[in-house]
Amino acid sequence: MSSPHGSPPPPSTPVRPSFAASVSRIYNLSFGQMLWSRRTVFMVLVVGGPVAVALILRMLVSMDLLDAGGVIDGRPVTIDGPVIFGLMIWGFYLSFSVPLLGVFYGTSLIADEVEDKTITYLFTRPLPRGAVLIGKYLAYLVCAGLLVLPSVMLVFFVVMPLLGGSIGAGFPDLLKDLALLAVGLAVYGALFALVGALFKRSLLTGLVFVFGWEPIVVVLPGYMKRFTVSYYLQGLVPHAMPQDGTVTGLVLQVLQANEILPSATVSLIGLGAILAGGLGLAVWLVQRREYVLEQ
Amino acid sequence: MPIHDQSYRRYAGSRNEPGSAWLVITKAGIRSLLGRKLFLAVMLAAWGQFFVRAVIFYLSANFPTLDVLAPSVETFRQFFEMQEIFVLFVTVYVGSGLIANDRRSNALQIYLSKPLSRTEYVAGKLGILAFFLLMVTLVPALALLLLEVMFSASLAFLSEHLFLLPAVTLYALAEVLLASFTMLALSSLSTSARYTAVLYAGVLFFTGAVFAILRGATRSSMLAWLSLRANLDQIGDVIFRLPPRFESPWPASVLVVLLLMGLSVVVLDRRVRGVEVVT
Repeated sequence: MSSPHGSPPPPSTPVRPSFAASVSRIYNLSFGQMLWSRRTVFMVLVVGGPVAVALILRMLVSMDLLDAGGVIDGRPVTIDGPVIFGLMIWGFYLSFSVPLLGVFYGTSLIADEVEDKTITYLFTRPLPRGAVLIGKYLAYLVCAGLLVLPSVMLVFFVVMPLLGGSIGAGFPDLLKDLALLAVGLAVYGALFALVGALFKRSLLTGLVFVFGWEPIVVVLPGYMKRFTVSYYLQGLVPHAMPQDGTVTGLVLQVLQANEILPSATVSLIGLGAILAGGLGLAVWLVQRREYVLEQ
Repeated sequence: MPIHDQSYRRYAGSRNEPGSAWLVITKAGIRSLLGRKLFLAVMLAAWGQFFVRAVIFYLSANFPTLDVLAPSVETFRQFFEMQEIFVLFVTVYVGSGLIANDRRSNALQIYLSKPLSRTEYVAGKLGILAFFLLMVTLVPALALLLLEVMFSASLAFLSEHLFLLPAVTLYALAEVLLASFTMLALSSLSTSARYTAVLYAGVLFFTGAVFAILRGATRSSMLAWLSLRANLDQIGDVIFRLPPRFESPWPASVLVVLLLMGLSVVVLDRRVRGVEVVT
């Protein structure tokens, strides 16, 4: 077919989407996949467990099977709602849920596509490779945040009023905890996105880091502990933790006296550096690396 | 004259005893894993504690001033405690894909179309994981016991603590069988080794976290049976004739461990099938 002037029309040049538009497209695609997958069952179990434990504790208190006073190692201690909530933030979320979700999702951002041999379809689209990783990372962040943060809120409202605790007085701590967990998810996710882009056996590397390296190194003297995420995260926790006269208060006093916890400023700088460094390096790697799929 | 006789002939090859086919799977699995450099590095790291303790045993045996380093029953108990993290890594590395990868590639049907029963298939897979787990628990512990005798040139320690031989063996078997059965059961539930690995680590650490929170809130360790690891710790203390570290009764821990293994067997029985009948 010719134009009215007799010459064929110029071929339309394909419009390459911008980086932000590419990120948005990948995010939309990945978010749906992540939210409605078998993995969500795992996530629900991980974040639903603390809620179940909180309900059990509430039941124990209502049946008068749990009281506020007690003795641990010969020391009188007071247990109330804020203390139990602090314990749950440490025990469930900071030490377990957040690192585990970071390892699972962070390492699978690229590794899953390689394992399923679908990375070719993503990389042959006219999208920057970095946008693929960033889009998937954002989808992980929103997906994990949407499940973890409501779980923390539920635990807060169930546990905080126990044994004389007050929801109103503890609310600022809840906000700090929510922010802290969001930061934790972001930092662990970025770090393990890098691990996933770098190593073939990324999951094992991630598990070794979270459950092998971090718990051991964080109590060693010297600078070794600065090469962990938990060190910087723990530096931000005390603001939300109950202080004097409680179990956790005593633990914190010991940790701070031994300079095991960093200041809030150092923590924020450290976490920011890991986040930016991890994500930046991961994007750089994904852009340059040739992924050879196993036949 | 026919070039090749295509008429019926009896099978002239050798026949293996029925029930020995699992060994083929185990041998192939072990050989395949021994060829991976990363795995060898993990195994070497798992033996790190053995080498450190061997040096300590040597020093305590040869330098009387270092008597404080002399081995005791607690030394062997601590050895197992410190190996727990490597038991986790080896379980995850070796076990997560054992059945999941076969399900993913539909190899299960091929396996079970051979003269191989489902029990033999599971036993073969179990053998791979159990072999490597014993290599990081039972073997170094027994080697340490042997080294103590060699360095001290005396059977005094061994004769004084003769129960250590069965104790080390029994605890290692309990730890290895629990890890192997639960990991295999989880592996049979999924087609993704990654998912299985995280599920196993999740179960292990989640039950530990539940116990830690309830212990903090109730100021009692009566609920130790809730934690997979605490159960093993409790059983280990009893086996090594040490005072149990938790207030919960140790038979409860034994019962939980047996129930978990039983549940794993049921899961394996339901999931390892050549053909899935959808009704």
